[in-house]
Amino acid sequence: MAMNESGAPDGTSFDGPSEEELLPCGRRLAQVWELAETGGQDPHTAECPHCGEALRALRALEGVVARARDDEPRVPPWDTAALADRVMDVVRLELRPGRTLPLGEADEDAWIVEAAAARTFRAAVDTLPGVRAGSCRIEADAQEAPSSAPPPGRLPRGPARVRVEVQVGLSWNLQLVADEVRARVVGAADHELGMRIAAVDVVVTDLLDEDEDADEDADATEGRQP
Amino acid sequence: MPGDRGREPEDADAPLPHEDALLAVRAAEGDEEAFEALVHRHAPALLRLGTRLLGSPTEAEDAVQESFVSAWRKLPEFRGDARFGTWMHRIVTNRCLNVLRSRQPVTALDSVPEPQAPEHQVSPPRAAEAHAAVADLSRAIEGLSPEQRVCWVLRELDGVPYESIAETVGISQEAVRGRVFRARRYLTEAMAGWR
Repeated sequence: MAMNESGAPDGTSFDGPSEEELLPCGRRLAQVWELAETGGQDPHTAECPHCGEALRALRALEGVVARARDDEPRVPPWDTAALADRVMDVVRLELRPGRTLPLGEADEDAWIVEAAAARTFRAAVDTLPGVRAGSCRIEADAQEAPSSAPPPGRLPRGPARVRVEVQVGLSWNLQLVADEVRARVVGAADHELGMRIAAVDVVVTDLLDEDEDADEDADATEGRQP
Repeated sequence: MPGDRGREPEDADAPLPHEDALLAVRAAEGDEEAFEALVHRHAPALLRLGTRLLGSPTEAEDAVQESFVSAWRKLPEFRGDARFGTWMHRIVTNRCLNVLRSRQPVTALDSVPEPQAPEHQVSPPRAAEAHAAVADLSRAIEGLSPEQRVCWVLRELDGVPYESIAETVGISQEAVRGRVFRARRYLTEAMAGWR
């Protein structure tokens, strides 16, 4: 690969023109173009035929570049849905190392991976109007120390402590929304997973302007159409 | 449209940041559906970027697909310091740079064709002439080194500031300016027939 760094062997060395390249009038070409790009003024350049020629060359290139941009298809030629499918096929086959959480009572041997439990809790929280769950982490409750060490990668059997971050619409009372979020998480843990919960910490990370949110939801839905 | 407030023209189809941030956090914690939503939201802009960088929609599709897979693997380390879209832009750019580097020997063997001067055509209609100039530009771009090409495309087609290009590619701003200059120098020469 190193041989390509010095340019092609047939003399068409593309790194050839140096930034030090001088125009016949003594001005550096790089400097003349840079001034044009930043909109700066130079009394010499305005008069000088060599600088003028250099600027015309740059403008001509810019003209073709602008046309090239205009020529790009308005409707993209790709099948984005098919691309997403191919990406997700690979993603779903990958094993993400994750922790395993206990389900059920202390003498049972039922487990669930943290990502799956978190997804269940987020979905439950999202049913509240104007509330979206972000990060959701599940820990063993430190209050109830386990009698024996759990298998590697698994949390000790016992009730869990959930920490969930939420984005909340401005119209919510924060105390009320925290209580509602807690109730949804505990309800989902009980009815959907059979997981014992010691505590739910609710962290409000963002207050959302609901008007803006409505616009965004409309955009997002549109964007997901295949 | 009220939803369009404050968007850059190039970001016309870029998703709004707080929804992205939320989805990225979920995906980093292993939520595949959240990641799928991010793929849908960002694929169109990244495919356009890849096509500009590589000059081929098919190759762009491969590069973007691989970039998303590698993003999924790296997501647990993504701290949200940058926006998800910016982060992906960087991953795709670097992937394309590697693609360009790996195909360089092929380009060197077929020597870059001389651009056709417009005199060869018998008073073509203006639209056809413009189209031919664009086609010549595409051919001329093939003659740039991978490094020049990436810097030039980001600057001239994507309108990215020098500072951000430097960050994306991992070189100094001065080096970016040098590469863009040399690319312009080469392209003005190659397109001389159109002046």
